[in-house]
Amino acid sequence: MRDKIIFGAGIFAALYFIRNLYVILLQLPDEAMQGAVYRIFFFHLPPYFAAVFCFLGAAIASGMYLKTKRWHYDVFAVSATEVGLALAAINLVTGMIWGRQQWGIWWTWDARLTSALITWLIYLGYLMLREGIKDPSERAKNSAVLSIFAFFAVYFTYKANEWYRTQHPGPVLTIRTGKNTIDPAMQAMLFHNLFAFLLLTVVLVAVRMRLEDSQRAVESLRRRAHAVA
Amino acid sequence: MDQRNFEYMFYGLAAAWTILCLYSLLLTSRGRKIQAEIEHLKRMLEASPKK
Amino acid sequence: MTYLNQVFAMAGKDLRSELRTKEALNASLSFAVVILLLFSFVVDPDSEMLEQMSGGLLWMVFAFSGTLILNRGFARELPNDCLDALIASPIPGSALFLGKAMANFVLIAIIEAICFPVFGILYNLTWTTQLPVLMGVSALATWAMATLGTMFGALTVNMQLRELMLPMLIYPMLIPALMAAMQLTTLLIAGQPIDAEHIIWLRVLVAFDIIFTALAAVLVETVLVG
Repeated sequence: MRDKIIFGAGIFAALYFIRNLYVILLQLPDEAMQGAVYRIFFFHLPPYFAAVFCFLGAAIASGMYLKTKRWHYDVFAVSATEVGLALAAINLVTGMIWGRQQWGIWWTWDARLTSALITWLIYLGYLMLREGIKDPSERAKNSAVLSIFAFFAVYFTYKANEWYRTQHPGPVLTIRTGKNTIDPAMQAMLFHNLFAFLLLTVVLVAVRMRLEDSQRAVESLRRRAHAVA
Repeated sequence: MDQRNFEYMFYGLAAAWTILCLYSLLLTSRGRKIQAEIEHLKRMLEASPKK
Repeated sequence: MTYLNQVFAMAGKDLRSELRTKEALNASLSFAVVILLLFSFVVDPDSEMLEQMSGGLLWMVFAFSGTLILNRGFARELPNDCLDALIASPIPGSALFLGKAMANFVLIAIIEAICFPVFGILYNLTWTTQLPVLMGVSALATWAMATLGTMFGALTVNMQLRELMLPMLIYPMLIPALMAAMQLTTLLIAGQPIDAEHIIWLRVLVAFDIIFTALAAVLVETVLVG
């Protein structure tokens, strides 16, 4: 049953993306200054938001794990973090390609770019910590603590860098700026693609959680095999 | 559609989808490996006598 | 024993055992001096550039050599199962943590106290003009390193790649604190007071210390006991 729901949601996300791509490529007007390249933005901001949701979810699940010690929370935390890393990678790479075209450089040490990269490295450290600890309950406990620290550190890094230097374009969404600076059709498209990415995230996290469950099964089978042999 | 900067738009979208596809492939290949290992371990456990 | 006594007992024990052998301190200090020496090849030692980079250089040295000390913090307790004995002892985990963090703080501060004059001598810089403020800033940044380092030392103590994991985990998280320390140190070494534009960095340091010390003190019990 669960598999069928995941599969159905995956199909729906795929169809949704096809519909979005059709609108993005063939119906939306061009941006006055940037020409075609602004369309990257629809694959830049939505994955970022989805990644933030993932990391937030992982931090909350980690707290819940420390409180209840139920495996399920740990499984969710690691799955969400890993999917979040993939989404953040999309955000970074699309941003770099856009920057190469618009700014003429692949990378600049601007506040948001720097903190996005640091975030990525911190959560990579989370996965590495997990790799390095053999005992499952110690692994779950230590990585849960790290996840909570990481979330605070990410917020802090973002704030500190914001005070430091800024080159990245400011917020564009009406809810952030309070003004209508963005074409309504483009903004609607952004939300559509955000929804599509969130759906995809849910599917990926669900798949990854199933994988983690099987991984657990392997570990317990191995222990039994050791006990028998 | 405007042809200005079309090239980089293509690179950007291609990169986004490539990362997604790579991650999905990674997930499926890991899933297969784990399934194979589960089968292997189960067979091993069935073959060896229980104590 | 009151809580503070427990903290100081823990810190005292760590400092005594370190100062008797000086294994981490000696290694860390010679490492720091070697990096200080290497910097003379990175940037022309007589140029203006050096003064503008001084804060960055110094805190790179402290971050690198500091991890050598932080690595030893919990690893010192591994032989003879001392860590289990400490956990079983009737002091709360947060007292154990604060004591260890204080010991680490003192040890890193010793490194810094030696590196500042050496740096001044080797590179012909007058760095003492704003000495009291500089000491305050260094203390805040060192405490940031000590809390995060001690906490993550506890997280990684049972790992095989401990020596590698600790810097890999704490450097990205320390970036806000190190960034603030670098900015302020450069300013203070140049002999200028902290002006309105730079006061924000002081706030970053203080906020960083408070938030992460509180977070670590709350969570360390779960890490150690489970």
